[in-house]
Amino acid sequence: MYFLAYPFANVTLLLYTFLGHSTIAAIVVLTLVITLITLPLTLSQQKSSRKMQEFQPELQKLQKKYAKDKEKLAQEQMKLYKEAGVNPMQGCLPLLIQMPIWFGLIGAIKYCIPSTPLDLLQFSHHIYKWLPGITGLVPLQSTFLGMDLGQPPSSAQWWSYSLPVLVFITYWLQQKLMTPPTAPVSSDDKSQAGGMAQQMQMMQTTMPLMMMFFTLSYPTGLSIYFIISSLLRVVQYYFIKTNGAATGDKGKLQLKPRKQ
Amino acid sequence: MNWFLTRRRYILLVVLAALLLGASGCSGSGKPTSWTGITIVGERMYVADLEQARALNTEDSEPLWAFPKNPKEDGRGNFYVTPAVDEERVIVASQVPPSGFLGQPKNIVWALEADTGRELWRFDEAKGQYVEGGALGGGLFIIGNSDGNVYALDVERGELKWSFETGHRVWATPLIVEDTVYVGSMDHHLYALNLSNGGVQWDFQADGAFAGTPALSEGVLYIGAFDDKLHAVDAASGSELWSFSGKNWFWGGPVVYSDTVYAADVNGNVYAVDTTGHQVWYKALDVQVRAGPVLSEDGSELFIGSQDGILYALDTADGFKLWSVENKGQMLAPVVVDGETVYGTLIQGTYRILALHVDNGREIWTYPPVVEEE
Repeated sequence: MYFLAYPFANVTLLLYTFLGHSTIAAIVVLTLVITLITLPLTLSQQKSSRKMQEFQPELQKLQKKYAKDKEKLAQEQMKLYKEAGVNPMQGCLPLLIQMPIWFGLIGAIKYCIPSTPLDLLQFSHHIYKWLPGITGLVPLQSTFLGMDLGQPPSSAQWWSYSLPVLVFITYWLQQKLMTPPTAPVSSDDKSQAGGMAQQMQMMQTTMPLMMMFFTLSYPTGLSIYFIISSLLRVVQYYFIKTNGAATGDKGKLQLKPRKQ
Repeated sequence: MNWFLTRRRYILLVVLAALLLGASGCSGSGKPTSWTGITIVGERMYVADLEQARALNTEDSEPLWAFPKNPKEDGRGNFYVTPAVDEERVIVASQVPPSGFLGQPKNIVWALEADTGRELWRFDEAKGQYVEGGALGGGLFIIGNSDGNVYALDVERGELKWSFETGHRVWATPLIVEDTVYVGSMDHHLYALNLSNGGVQWDFQADGAFAGTPALSEGVLYIGAFDDKLHAVDAASGSELWSFSGKNWFWGGPVVYSDTVYAADVNGNVYAVDTTGHQVWYKALDVQVRAGPVLSEDGSELFIGSQDGILYALDTADGFKLWSVENKGQMLAPVVVDGETVYGTLIQGTYRILALHVDNGREIWTYPPVVEEE
């Protein structure tokens, strides 16, 4: 999972060199670069998510029609996905790809601003010395607003706890904007569509909460990445919205004519 | 399949949670984060041995005392740094892991009675980990900390006498000579501080971090840095006399003997450099080396431990390998030579301390003893 850590750490060192030896600027630019690289995946995730929502009336019809035949229902659902050219797994792919990126970033921060000597020792053998100006940079300057970017939030720097809170707020905002609106669901709605809508609503809160708790035990530098990353996605959302591209999926879902 | 599709986000969430928890260290892994160290005084060895600080008999490794007595019940954390010892006391440091999700690790300096291991005092005001040991001088115990400070404690009671803030972590053991403390910091500076009050006499800036202890010989300090250079600095003024380029970071401190400076970089390249900065010989061991080299008492052999557990003995005349001994584990702290015996510590190995003959590397004992399977 950490295979991206050394490349990311070396890119961070290079950015640090060109950005006036500012660790925070290096993290921000690295986040920007990663966000741009993963932009097609993010757009694909949004597109897939939107399409899945648009499927709900069709899915509900199928559920009513095949309420007593689960096997047939599953077959018809798969047929529906196929006809619309939608891969239901497509929404998971970006999340799966983001995982190694997160681990790579955790590793990069661990190596560039190490809190333990063994982490630093490990990195000493993986610095790309051929990159200009990076010899002697490690460990990077770790202080930002009095916080140690290489350490988790601590009571000694009580204000560092604001970062996990900001992670929650920005991640929640991002989730809120990216998740397509769903019709209000009653708690006793047991249909699949209702279940999915409930799940979506729960995800909007549980995922940011989870991120907040994780960042409590990770170096604060990683919180900076999550905050900037979420803000960039919000900016990206408004940019696409105002430019009328709407995640690249113009118009409503078009189903291919079904063969009788 | 349908079940998976409708719940895939939750499944991914659970997988992600498990992976992140594992990566954050919440899984309770007891993996060491630093290395242990030993100090020998007379016939006693004092060792910071992860879960305990202990005293052993150097002849046969017989345990004399251990602190705490029951580490599982009286958890005092992991003891890493090389003990500092005077006639009455042994001073060590430990890191107590955080308890609970929002708990903070505690970093404590302990003064123990040298004869019994009884606690004399403790100091727990530092906010970061202690990586290397401290030095004793002028009634003070001086130690650097990951919170960027150098702390000076009264050896009698452990009271903080002064502290000096650097711009980054301090992972090097200070060197005390008369009324001056020389200490390197990760902020790329080597500082000369007044022993009595911590005032700065001078500071020397390099292009990389300092993590090792300088060696002093005839008014010149020799110290390696993460700029891949070995620096010679005038101890009185802090001005650089010369620098010698290696192939990677110099982490451990160099040693000086008979107008030759011996140093090793983290790639396992060992250099003998004369006191004018010219290379005498060079030996590539092709192993990863953290600790600095150590000389035998007669200056004829140079001992270097490696990250993959191999201890090398080189001829100081030309760098020729006299012998090497492989051990399971990582040998990251400098070895200690006492008479005809060389002692080393290992982390993540089958034993944690070993004693070998300086002449041929033959094993004298290990601690804990390795029980041969029948």
